[in-house]
Amino acid sequence: MSLTIPSHIPLEHFKRFVLSMADDELVLGHRDSEWTGHAPILEEDIAFSNIAQDEIGHALVWYTMYMELGGPSPDEMGFLREWKDFRCCHFVTYPRGDFAYTVVRQYLFDVAEQVRLQGLLSSSVDALRSVAEKLLREESYHLLHSQGLVERLGDATPESHERMQRAVTEAFPQALGIFEELEGESFLVEAGAFVGNAALRSDWLKEVVPVLHKASLQAPVQLEAENVKVLVSPHEGGRRGQHLEYLKQLVDDMQQVYRLAPQSQW
Amino acid sequence: MDTQWETYEVFHQSRRGDAHVHVGSVHAPDPQMALQLARDQFARRLSCVSLWVVRTSDITATDYQDPDFFARVTDKSYRDPKAFDAPDKLHFE
Repeated sequence: MSLTIPSHIPLEHFKRFVLSMADDELVLGHRDSEWTGHAPILEEDIAFSNIAQDEIGHALVWYTMYMELGGPSPDEMGFLREWKDFRCCHFVTYPRGDFAYTVVRQYLFDVAEQVRLQGLLSSSVDALRSVAEKLLREESYHLLHSQGLVERLGDATPESHERMQRAVTEAFPQALGIFEELEGESFLVEAGAFVGNAALRSDWLKEVVPVLHKASLQAPVQLEAENVKVLVSPHEGGRRGQHLEYLKQLVDDMQQVYRLAPQSQW
Repeated sequence: MDTQWETYEVFHQSRRGDAHVHVGSVHAPDPQMALQLARDQFARRLSCVSLWVVRTSDITATDYQDPDFFARVTDKSYRDPKAFDAPDKLHFE
């Protein structure tokens, strides 16, 4: 184990947190890669392929930290693990859908990434602070891209508006599942390692609701003075390993080639 | 309805001080998105410090059908800088 964390932070819970970050990035990166050769516009095809590579690169950063905490290698984590052992949220596992759904999912996820990483900048754990600083440099541009598309497609034409609204209605409760509480999370919050999912969810709502609204898109929420009241229930279970079949199909697909000859050197 | 985005011409600079070089074009809904998309098309492999995008329709160009525009009817070789080497770049000590 080459990375040590302050002794008052329970390692098991810390590792679970790192794994949830890694698995979100890998699985969404895989979904984004499914647009390679299929996106409606050549430029977006390349942009999404680029984002896919970035997300998978970020997954590698988190899996490397997981290994340094005593876990298996990144390759074993990505290519030899059973799908039930992933700890990503359901949100990133849904099929890529149409391009409107992809854009909305990417936007809602990018904001979540932004608030998660921003929160880690003041973590009591050095390793988390330095990873957050590094990844934010790329994530900020993902957000610029996906938010740019949301703002433009939200009310560009009646068809774009209708498809974007449908995507928001579908994706919003799924996205709330990003903030499902992790087992043992309170230990990490107490130790100042991370701000906690409840706080992140509230930061996320404050950011996405006005942006969607400005793009003529309605989120399923009610605004009450300072508070944003959510009217739908989040799609949870992923952080506990209770996954939908979609993840099984994705993992089968992703691991297929590696599993043919696990000992090969690539 | 034409739903195709307009094209923007992309100019790429690899180091500060170098000229921006035309590298191609992107489809985009407006200049800001054009810069975003140009970044993905042209700046992810080459080193890059600056990009310009210009709406293609804003470029005024000469007509290939009018070669006389560039013709030299009389001998103007005296204009050619043949007596010295003109370097691509200037070097300062």
